Amino acid sequence: MALLRTEDVTKTFGALTAVNRVTLAVEEGTLHSIIGPNGAGKTTLFNLLTGQAPPTSGRILFDGRDITGTPPQRIAHLGIARSFQRTNVFPALSVLDNVWVAVFARSRRRGLGWRPADRYPDLTERALAALGEVGLGDNARRAARELSHGEQRQLELAIALAAAPRLLLLDEPAAGLSPDETRKMVALVRGLKGRYTIVLIEHKMDIIMTISDRVSVMHFGSLIAEGTPAEIQRHAEVRRAYLGGIVAP
Amino acid sequence: MSRAWIAILAAVVLLPMLVRHAIATEIWIFAIFGLGLNLLLGYTGLLSFGQATFFGSAAYVGGYLLKHGGVNVLLVLALGIVVGAVSAAAVGYLCVQRSGLYFIMLTFALNQMFYFTAYQWTSVTGGEDGMPGIPRPAFLGLRLSEPLAYYVFVAACFVIALGIMKRVVESPLGKILQAIRENEVRAQAIGYDARRFKLLAFVIGGAFSGLAGVLYAMLFGIVPLEAIGFVFSGNVVFGTLIGGSGSLYGPVIGAFVFIWLSESVSVIWQRWPLLLGVAFVIVVLFFRGGLVEAWDRLATWWSVRRLRGVAET
Ligand SMILES: Nc1ncnc2c1ncn2[C@@H]1O[C@H](COP(=O)(O)OP(=O)(O)O)[C@@H](O)[C@H]1O
Ligand SMILES: [Mg+2]
Repeated sequence: MALLRTEDVTKTFGALTAVNRVTLAVEEGTLHSIIGPNGAGKTTLFNLLTGQAPPTSGRILFDGRDITGTPPQRIAHLGIARSFQRTNVFPALSVLDNVWVAVFARSRRRGLGWRPADRYPDLTERALAALGEVGLGDNARRAARELSHGEQRQLELAIALAAAPRLLLLDEPAAGLSPDETRKMVALVRGLKGRYTIVLIEHKMDIIMTISDRVSVMHFGSLIAEGTPAEIQRHAEVRRAYLGGIVAP
Repeated sequence: MSRAWIAILAAVVLLPMLVRHAIATEIWIFAIFGLGLNLLLGYTGLLSFGQATFFGSAAYVGGYLLKHGGVNVLLVLALGIVVGAVSAAAVGYLCVQRSGLYFIMLTFALNQMFYFTAYQWTSVTGGEDGMPGIPRPAFLGLRLSEPLAYYVFVAACFVIALGIMKRVVESPLGKILQAIRENEVRAQAIGYDARRFKLLAFVIGGAFSGLAGVLYAMLFGIVPLEAIGFVFSGNVVFGTLIGGSGSLYGPVIGAFVFIWLSESVSVIWQRWPLLLGVAFVIVVLFFRGGLVEAWDRLATWWSVRRLRGVAET
């Protein structure tokens, strides 16, 4: 059964239809990519999935449950975590605290707690593990704002991982990275494959084609194709709309 | 015990030897008031311009009970804390629906509503004349009517309040509030209901304001109308910013400077608020972290200089 399913999800901003009747199914355990040119509506689709904005029409089902219009803080507790295209961390907090608050959010069995925050060894350990996973283990004590752009992208991912989500939504994790950093980030995402159900937004074709189980192509708000990477590469309409000269025939 | 605590305890002991007991007492009361504000201002990033609402409401209720009831002092303090928390819950609930400038204006406007209620309700509050004749009954054999005894009592309240606030800001709640201050959208995305946590910060801050309000009423034996007015709300913001909103101890240092200036310098020089204005401008322009930051920088500069001196010889 699909872990995530959208049915005719639409979002309009005034006259603009940013997301147009998108029907999508993401199977558990897979890495499902969404590609499309800038402005295609990919980020907006994520915003609908995570409750940042309610869809104009359509339904969103997570694990068989209708979550349409559920606010972000509830979505997080259902086990959906996301990273943001534009880095979205807690600048003045330490790198560790950035991740720690995400771990704590998902472990509310203790209520709010009266103990000092540094006396939750199990939570701190999980936060450090998430930092280690993205390669930020040595930077735990630094303030997030002191990190380089590349490191902030890693932190962005660590915050999402810290929630131990059932569904991980990654919005262009390699945005603004150098070729070298991009390779590292791709390796990182590849390492997550299989352990998480992942929806990945990316517009670098080479990355998508080597990493994805399935690919959906978005264009002017609509899904125009879906299939395996190989099928997408052969798809004539996609080539016209998007791939153009990027992928050699 | 940390150096900060040793400094605080030393200040508690030395202060009544250096300034009049009433001033020394007022400093710790204002510090409690500042601690409550700073949970909102410094930790949650919410500029509440209406803290006198909670301070004044508790002062009136506490003052009224002491005047008419012959009630136990601890019970009055507890009720003051409850009044502060409940009024903050009501005000906070409305204010957290908005953010930015609208939030600030709401805290201010609601403060004005409380002020005019107190102004009109003369049968209880005494209106412009204030509510006089508030006694300080004895407590556990401590004759609080004696200025020094009352100082000790208030200082003890302050130390307890500081300990509790330290615990609050170091707890997960403190981290969550800071996360909301830093990035509300992300805090929501990782699962925190920002409004609920802001409201909680209001309630805790209101409880501290309420405690300060009752102690203030007992100190002067009167609740002046200003105790619930915007000038008091502004003063606590002022003091906290001068001390430094970025740390737990900032509002304590701010209370020290603010009350000392207003009570000592004002005797010599009528236009002392000018001095305060200058201090404020300097802080805003050069030391956004208030006196705490200024001190840190001075200490760094000094140690660098000393190291250089060592290296040169
Ligand atoms: N909050 C908003 N208000 C108005 N228009 C928006 C808003 N968010 C996105 N859009 C518009 O929707 C379209 C899709 O944007 P987006 O989802 O960010 O595309 P992508 O992530 O695929 O690059 C763009 O034209 C963008 O300008
Ligand atoms: Mg985007």
